Amino acid sequence: MENKKILVCDDDPGIIDLLGVILEDTGHDIITEINSLNVPALIEREKPDLLILDLWMPVVSGDQLLQMVRKNPDLENIPVIIISASRDGKAIANKFGATAFVAKPFDIDDLINTVESQFQKTVLME
Amino acid sequence: MNKFQKGKFNLSGTSIKENFELLTKALDASISGIIITDNNQPDNPIVYCNAAFERMTGYSRNEIIGHNCRFLQAQDRSQKEREMLAKCVKEGKECQVDIRNYRKNGDLFYNELFMSPVKDQNGLVTHFIGVQNDVTTRKNAEHDLRQQKSIMERKIEERTADLRDSEAFLTSIIETVREGLLVLDPNFNVLSANYHFLRTFKVSAEETVGKQLYQLGSNQWDIPQLRELLVKILPTNNPVVDFEVEHDFPHIGRKLMLLNAYRIELEGQYKDQILLAIEDITDRKEIERRKDDFLSIASHELKTPLTTIKGFIQVLQKNTPEQATDKFKTVLEKVATYVNRLNNLISELLDVSRIQTGNIELHNSPFDFDKVVKEAVEGIRATVPEHTITLMGSTSAEVIGDESHIIQVINNLLSNAIKYAPDSKTVEVNIANISEYVKVSVKDFGVGINSEDTKKVFDRFYRGNDVQKKFPGMGIGLYICDQIIKNHQGTLWVESEKGKGSVFSFTLPKGGKELDGK
Repeated sequence: MENKKILVCDDDPGIIDLLGVILEDTGHDIITEINSLNVPALIEREKPDLLILDLWMPVVSGDQLLQMVRKNPDLENIPVIIISASRDGKAIANKFGATAFVAKPFDIDDLINTVESQFQKTVLME
Repeated sequence: MNKFQKGKFNLSGTSIKENFELLTKALDASISGIIITDNNQPDNPIVYCNAAFERMTGYSRNEIIGHNCRFLQAQDRSQKEREMLAKCVKEGKECQVDIRNYRKNGDLFYNELFMSPVKDQNGLVTHFIGVQNDVTTRKNAEHDLRQQKSIMERKIEERTADLRDSEAFLTSIIETVREGLLVLDPNFNVLSANYHFLRTFKVSAEETVGKQLYQLGSNQWDIPQLRELLVKILPTNNPVVDFEVEHDFPHIGRKLMLLNAYRIELEGQYKDQILLAIEDITDRKEIERRKDDFLSIASHELKTPLTTIKGFIQVLQKNTPEQATDKFKTVLEKVATYVNRLNNLISELLDVSRIQTGNIELHNSPFDFDKVVKEAVEGIRATVPEHTITLMGSTSAEVIGDESHIIQVINNLLSNAIKYAPDSKTVEVNIANISEYVKVSVKDFGVGINSEDTKKVFDRFYRGNDVQKKFPGMGIGLYICDQIIKNHQGTLWVESEKGKGSVFSFTLPKGGKELDGK
């Protein structure tokens, strides 16, 4: 399988660190961003194949980013995984059209499986 | 001309003597005591007394004749009746008095005395005649009656005072209680409103009492649903319980009020009245909301670094060097276990807070029951490979409920079965269809629960006495399970024998809570 580009945004440096380490092993290109304000520009520039977004982030929240992505015709089919420790995270993720939800704290195998299954779906769709 | 001279005393005899004898006998036969005093002699001495007078006073004739009547009063001289008698004697008038007299043996008797003057042809008073009756019995009865009456009056006063006191006491409670209270008649007109009601709504008694409930303020209570409930109170005695009304009230703004209404269970003038209690729960709800928010944020913030820790531990486990010692691996495994426990504790605390405030949201959808149980069992199996968890039975049922909550319950029951059976490696899970329910039983062969504790294990923060020391925990797992199952209209229960093990079972209506009871 060819390498994919994954954009990860979480306001917590620890999570960013961890996701960087875990996802590195998948062989995909990982772009991490701690400031959600920069995400739109990053998407524009990097054209990632997958977004992994936290929900509760200052200024621009994960669900706002998700809505923005889904409204953009170029991005409406991009897979988005929401990761959150919020109790109603799953409901919010579903409501705004995320392709998957992973609750924090997660099992890293679960996370990797979820990531890979997104690409398999996209492959099927292509 | 007197009666004597007119011949009225020519009775049956022919001579004056005979007639006189008859008269004397007649006087002696009288039951009234009769005396005659001689007004022409000093100090009006008694010159005649009949037999009844002797009987009445206990004195014999020779002790009476020649005395003034006053000897009958003995030492009891200050009676005002005596003055009246003296006055009438002086003025030659007749009179009637009830006077206290004393018998020879000292006994008191009440003497009803009629005294009248006897006059000569010139109109001068020559004698007085006194006719007397012993009215002691009547006097005593009168006295008793008076006493009885005064006792009654005193009692009535006491009772009235008591009544006034208890009424004042009740009123003070009603007026002090920090809940608005209205009393309504069967047409929902306000009969009375307590102080707290008036204060809460910043209204006066005048604009409240006498009006119909639905017309108060800006018709805030005119809610079809509330009307329906209130109408049912009197005929069915079904109270209105915890009815919430959110309204922009005049004077006080938007508030959340909690209404409870009951029929007043009294006969007589209070029959068929309704007591309506209104409580302002705006602040309480706000505090609950803030507490929930706080706990949500706290749990979110605690879980974030926990995610990092858990993730890195897993990274470490995956990258354990070949030459790592067993000790190193065990320690790493233990760290992972305890991080998971910390995570569960944080989740449970949040759950408890939500259950308490009734904020647990059920995301009900149909799910494959057998599959969910199987996956939950497999999940636990993977964490305790040395245990044998057998799953028996099947339901092939599709259940409507909150899948994640049900998984939480099964996980909790299984974890308990393992935790509280340190010397046993076997857990049996049984699932079955029972009528419109599915049933799950989790059986362990562990320490068991004594019968006293089986009633309390579902209480919040309850931990069995002997369990307390040997096993860690906060005592909220089963409480949460119980609440979740209750939210699904099912039941959770335990059968256990000390030292033999326990069976925790729960039922769930397949159709979800909507179908149940409707």
